[in-house]
Amino acid sequence: MLKQYPMLRYVLQKAFWYLLTFVCAVALNFALPRLGDNNPVDIIMGQAGKGLSPTEAQKKKAELLVSFGMAEIGDDGQVVYEYETDENGKVVTRLVPQLDDNKQPVVNVVKLFDDAGNPVMVERQKLDEAGNPVFVEKAPAAQKGKKAKKAKKIKAKKGKKGAKAAAVAAVEKIPVMEKVQAERIDTVMVEEKVKKTDPKLASAVSQFFSYIGKVFHGDLGLSYQNNEPVTNVIKKSLPWTLAIQAPTILLGWIVGNLLGAFAAYKRGIFDKVFFPCAMFLNGVPFFVFGMLLVAFFSITLGWFPAMGAYSPDIPELTFSWSCFKSVSWYYVLPFFSVFPILLSGQATGMRSMSIYELGTDYMKYAKWLGLREGKIISYVFRNAMLPQLTGLAQSLGAMVGGALITEMIFSYPGLGMAMLNAIQKNDYATIQGCTLMISTCVLVANFAVDVLIAVFDPRVKAGLQMGGK
Amino acid sequence: MSENVFEVDHLGLYYLGRFGDKTHAVTDVSFSMKQGEILGIAGESGCGKSTLVSGLMGMCIPPLYPESGDVRVKNGDKMESLMNRDIEDVRANVLAQQVSMIPQGAFNALNPVRKIKDIAADVLKAHARPGEKQDAKQIYDRVYAHFDRIGMDTKRVLNSFPINLTAGERQRCVIAISTILLPKMVIADEPTSALDVSTQKEVIKMIFDLLDKGIFQSMIFITHELPLLYHVADNIAIMYAGEIVEKGTAEQVVKDPRHPYTQALMGAMLSTEASQRGRHPVAIEGAPPSLKNKIVGCRFAPRCSKACPDCKKNTQNLRIVGDRDVRCDYAK
Repeated sequence: MLKQYPMLRYVLQKAFWYLLTFVCAVALNFALPRLGDNNPVDIIMGQAGKGLSPTEAQKKKAELLVSFGMAEIGDDGQVVYEYETDENGKVVTRLVPQLDDNKQPVVNVVKLFDDAGNPVMVERQKLDEAGNPVFVEKAPAAQKGKKAKKAKKIKAKKGKKGAKAAAVAAVEKIPVMEKVQAERIDTVMVEEKVKKTDPKLASAVSQFFSYIGKVFHGDLGLSYQNNEPVTNVIKKSLPWTLAIQAPTILLGWIVGNLLGAFAAYKRGIFDKVFFPCAMFLNGVPFFVFGMLLVAFFSITLGWFPAMGAYSPDIPELTFSWSCFKSVSWYYVLPFFSVFPILLSGQATGMRSMSIYELGTDYMKYAKWLGLREGKIISYVFRNAMLPQLTGLAQSLGAMVGGALITEMIFSYPGLGMAMLNAIQKNDYATIQGCTLMISTCVLVANFAVDVLIAVFDPRVKAGLQMGGK
Repeated sequence: MSENVFEVDHLGLYYLGRFGDKTHAVTDVSFSMKQGEILGIAGESGCGKSTLVSGLMGMCIPPLYPESGDVRVKNGDKMESLMNRDIEDVRANVLAQQVSMIPQGAFNALNPVRKIKDIAADVLKAHARPGEKQDAKQIYDRVYAHFDRIGMDTKRVLNSFPINLTAGERQRCVIAISTILLPKMVIADEPTSALDVSTQKEVIKMIFDLLDKGIFQSMIFITHELPLLYHVADNIAIMYAGEIVEKGTAEQVVKDPRHPYTQALMGAMLSTEASQRGRHPVAIEGAPPSLKNKIVGCRFAPRCSKACPDCKKNTQNLRIVGDRDVRCDYAK
């Protein structure tokens, strides 16, 4: 059915393979941290319980594990825990009081008998229906006379007040005792399996599907170092990376290709000077060049700031002129630490491609036919550009990850920096989010260029048609 | 003199090396051509055929420089020299208009990312006269008309990319594009190499058709296949080490070669005749001399079976033997 539309077929085919590769990337992303000695779960759990009481920590861990999709949830909707086992593999149990619905221990009352089988009787204070002890009030009878005399004397001395106090003290409360059978109250104990501190982990397969499901729903987990979703971390840092890398790469590619084609066509003194310079620059690593720039322009000359993305005086970025000025000011050094190197890399590639193109039979034939110089240059540029597109795809794909070192040198708040911080703090969720982002970028860029090449290169198109036959 | 359309007069060309050394690729080549004539030039690889083509078109682009002589092409009533002209002048007024060329290896002669009609249109655009305005449609119309006149499947071929065409179709497209401005002279540099025999025939037939239709008037046909030249050419010139060693009609050169090199060349040819079956072909021993050094004496002498001591001392000149030119003092 699709045979009539080879282009569409090609795109679909490519899309399928790229999707498959993406799933593989996600799987790797999922599996790699779990293969190491330091299981990320242990590390996350260790960090999560800090500064909490044991019960609270356990609760928090359970919540975290459930949010990761890593804890197993039973049929009752509760987190399932694993139990301690002894050397023989038997589950360790212990006795705990049984609790009723109101969390009160359940008790048994046992009446006591002596050896002869007669009930053991004890005297106990009598209780009324509400459970309060019963008393009887009684006037003190034994020392009545003496006390009355004394009282009279006090009454004579102190008058009315003293007489009243003596009357209250005269009433005595006496507990009423009764005889009942002795009894023992036993708390009901039940056997309980001893829990491990962590909830039971879900199986790797179900973890994987839960991971994939969440990834496709845009949930990359929680970055515990910032205590915010990883997507937020990426959202905050990705624009900086794109801002520093996309213009650098695109401009470097365009200017580099133009210069390379020009050098190949003109040769002579321009080529003799340009080519060795480009070769040299191409060999200089980003970070060395960046550090040289910082040392010279920032430290020695003091023209440009050495680190950061905008002035620390600005509390929050807004769309204002002063912010824009500050950002562009801080933009200069990071930009020029990457731009010349990318440019020279593209230029050397383009130069050799163009020299090859200039030597081909069709360029010679075009010259024989008396085509103008400009037309021949455009032929050369057009044809030599096609392989360069692949190079563009690679650098665009590596863009997000490749910025790491540049961002480190300039403390630029991009994705590379976020990833570096995450690595230093074992923040696995963020690391995984960043690597996933990078692999997605590589795949998307490659896919786009694959389609672009098929559009621009009739040789590929012809291959498609033949493949469709 | 006036009936000649193309004259080459003692043409010498050299390549300037990086250290100022000269390689004399072409020395003392002279011939003239009449209207409607096909001249075949044959010779070993590296004997200066392709360099000669550059010289004949006036395209002496460094490191190739003219050393001596002149190339003249008939323009209107008078003969116009192509030598020592500005490259831009040659590009605008000579190439594809007066002298056009069909390159060897048509397989790669067409830009793979352009449609045939665009390649042809580029030629028309490049040679538009100053002040002459042509819109795209007019140009494409001219392309269609020309391909139609040549008898090609215009609709399919013109809208194809080179990769969609067979080798024979590509070669025919190249011929059509080369002749789109109706040049007086066409120089075909091995137009049929790398083609199978039947496609070769088709291409040759097409070239003759174009000649008959008056699309171009005369042709120089360069190849290393003598039997092909015998069928195609009126006159044949044999080149060896940058020189023409023998020149005469096709009949004379092929059937009755006088120069030892031509004789050896004919001896090295494979034949389908029954008597020749199973016979080992005779190769010419040795290699052509280096053209970097000054050569004293006959250039073929080291490989010549009939050489005598004098040959290595005396420079041979073209002389007329019978009614042809031979560069051998001992040829009869």
